[in-house]
Amino acid sequence: MTSTRCAVCKYFRRRCPPDCIFSPHFLNDNPQRFTCVHKIYGASNLGKLLQETPMQLRADTIESLYYEAKCRIQDPVYGCAGIIWSLHQQIQIAQSQLARARAEIAFLDANVVVAEPTPSPGEPVVQQNGVDYGLDDPYDFWFY
Amino acid sequence: MSSNPSTSSTSGGGSSGGGGSGGGPCGACKFLRRKCVAGCIFAPYFDSDQGAAHFAAVHKVFGASNVSKLLFHLPVQRRHDAVVTICYEAQARLRDPVYGCVSHIFALQQQVVNLQAELAYFQAHLATLEGQTPPPPPPPQPAVPPPGLSINDLTTASSFLGSYDLSSLLEPMVPPSWTMQPPRSQMDPRQFMSFGATRAPTDLPPAQGGTGDFQELARELLQRSTSEGSGPGACKTEGSSLPP
Repeated sequence: MTSTRCAVCKYFRRRCPPDCIFSPHFLNDNPQRFTCVHKIYGASNLGKLLQETPMQLRADTIESLYYEAKCRIQDPVYGCAGIIWSLHQQIQIAQSQLARARAEIAFLDANVVVAEPTPSPGEPVVQQNGVDYGLDDPYDFWFY
Repeated sequence: MSSNPSTSSTSGGGSSGGGGSGGGPCGACKFLRRKCVAGCIFAPYFDSDQGAAHFAAVHKVFGASNVSKLLFHLPVQRRHDAVVTICYEAQARLRDPVYGCVSHIFALQQQVVNLQAELAYFQAHLATLEGQTPPPPPPPQPAVPPPGLSINDLTTASSFLGSYDLSSLLEPMVPPSWTMQPPRSQMDPRQFMSFGATRAPTDLPPAQGGTGDFQELARELLQRSTSEGSGPGACKTEGSSLPP
């Protein structure tokens, strides 16, 4: 046996044919990749999946299978579904925080509009240049 | 005779299989055309009606032997959840043979990123209004993933699920103490995939189709946890390990 076998054929201790369907995707330098996928899906199912997939999409197929397999090994109960759950949770939290921030901004915007007074004649005008006209708070006069 | 959680509902249907007790073969054994023995590991989770169809998907993607080994190494009380998620992944893989449920994960991750960017902008704007300083510039457009982007930032749920409450998926209440920070342990799927050479991220199927299935999955698990009086608890199963 030569050292040019792919990781799959090396795993099964068989000759690696020139048209091996696995060899482009499971190189000999990374046997853990196939071991991971084989644990969850099995080589037979993997081969069938690859045969049904167009050649230009096989690389992405293998990668997604590898990712799902790793997730399942790390979390045998929930696998990828656990990640999807946590992402849904993050989205819900972000959406509620976003809604709260928007509401606060709308409230503050409305208060700013209300707080901008129109000075009436005969009443002290409170300048906005910081000059103290004897009022504790320039806006207290208008509100209270 | 194996345990018979008849009140649980699985993606394979509501009632449990016969398990060799005279009620007929379970969905798995019916599909495999074999005798359903007492103690069949699949019987509690795949009934003889819809269970066979669901098991067909599981068998096509994972293989009956692999699923059997996986379930065998899990505590009995965790097996139902595992079956539900396995069925979900199998159906997602059959629906999208190239990306499976990973495309859904990618779409959700992008949604999280966009929402966080929008939230950061609005919080800065809010701080501006409260501090009476000039407003910040508008946020940039939602980031369109570059052609070479891959799902590198996906996180594992391992450290989340220890305190995860399934009911929160179905209820609007959100715990205020939840942090937006990703868990400590991260799997970086960008190492795994490059979309540029094949399908651009914009070509990925929308997440909506998967979301409906996922809500159904969440309801099943919630009913399960409610009927058993226990939540999902720690994701780490005691003594569980995959077969060598």
